[in-house]
Amino acid sequence: MTDYWLSKMMFDLQKSGDVSSWRADREPFLEQYPISEEMKQAVRDDNLAAIAPHVNAYLLRFYCGICGMGDKEFTERLRKINTPERH
Amino acid sequence: MAQLVGAFASSHAPLIARDWDILPPEAKQKISSGFSEMRSRIKELCPDLLIMLAPDHWVNFFLDNLPAFCIGLGPEHGGPPEPFLSPKFQYKKIEGHPEFSRHLADTAFESGFDPSLSYNVNLDHGFCIPLWKLGLDPLPTVIPIFVNELEQPMPSIKRCFDWGRMIRSAIVNYPEDLKVAVIGSGGLSHSIGEPTMGKIDERFDQDCIALFSKANEPEIIEKLVKNLPTVGNGSEEIRSWIIAHAAMNGEGFKLIDYAPISEVYVGCGWAEWKVA
Repeated sequence: MTDYWLSKMMFDLQKSGDVSSWRADREPFLEQYPISEEMKQAVRDDNLAAIAPHVNAYLLRFYCGICGMGDKEFTERLRKINTPERH
Repeated sequence: MAQLVGAFASSHAPLIARDWDILPPEAKQKISSGFSEMRSRIKELCPDLLIMLAPDHWVNFFLDNLPAFCIGLGPEHGGPPEPFLSPKFQYKKIEGHPEFSRHLADTAFESGFDPSLSYNVNLDHGFCIPLWKLGLDPLPTVIPIFVNELEQPMPSIKRCFDWGRMIRSAIVNYPEDLKVAVIGSGGLSHSIGEPTMGKIDERFDQDCIALFSKANEPEIIEKLVKNLPTVGNGSEEIRSWIIAHAAMNGEGFKLIDYAPISEVYVGCGWAEWKVA
């Protein structure tokens, strides 16, 4: 199921382009949104398997780019997880 | 009266811009020749107006308000916000066509559609990769139509056929002299941000090309409804091609070129629908 606030944080990050602040400290960003503690921890841990089922795949790609993950690493990590069917 | 002079479709992989300088020569040649041939054919038709169909990649819309279709009504549209494309994009201004876009919106509402409308949109790589690589000079006026091809649920394939026919009706019933071309942007198969990221399904792409050539609408609908869930989320952008196809009454499809280009993660296609 889509996690609106997690998605919203990724969308806002993409809009603002504030990459350096995000990479320096994620906590001030996480505090701004009513994201569940479980999802916050997944973000802190870069736990793609936990995050992927709850956000749009394109947003996830943008977000991982903001985190500094190149396409190669991103793709390799995606292939290790099993996400539910899209439909 | 306005005239529908032709329709076209092309892929819009963002890596065409982001990685242009490091793409292998063969990939660059294929991409350049696809757009170059499309440019020649568009130039022959001398359109005054391009009606373009593409998804919004989380630039104008979000989950708090996500239209199935949105028509850009403004006199001018913002260019690509993406840092990998913006510096390369050659147009300072993308002019709209407020009179026709209002007519298009009126036609949509009179035809049983309830599209979203916006006087202020930014056109991301979905619109601007084709505009950049086509390099039309001067750039005709552009009416962008955003189609939700990114987030489920999306408009059905059948609805996209109907939307394309509505566009045709708007064009042929516009009272002023105007040459209009339709450009569908997106597809063919690709997978973004999924475990299958980077996978290109050539069989699906070739099936789509065959389906457009055969132009049997129930068959297109049946096969796409069946196959789209299994061929990568980016493949949902085939809706842009469907709308172009329907705007041309399903007639005159001619493939310009197809190349599965793994470096840009996309089964890249270029096509034209010629007026009979």
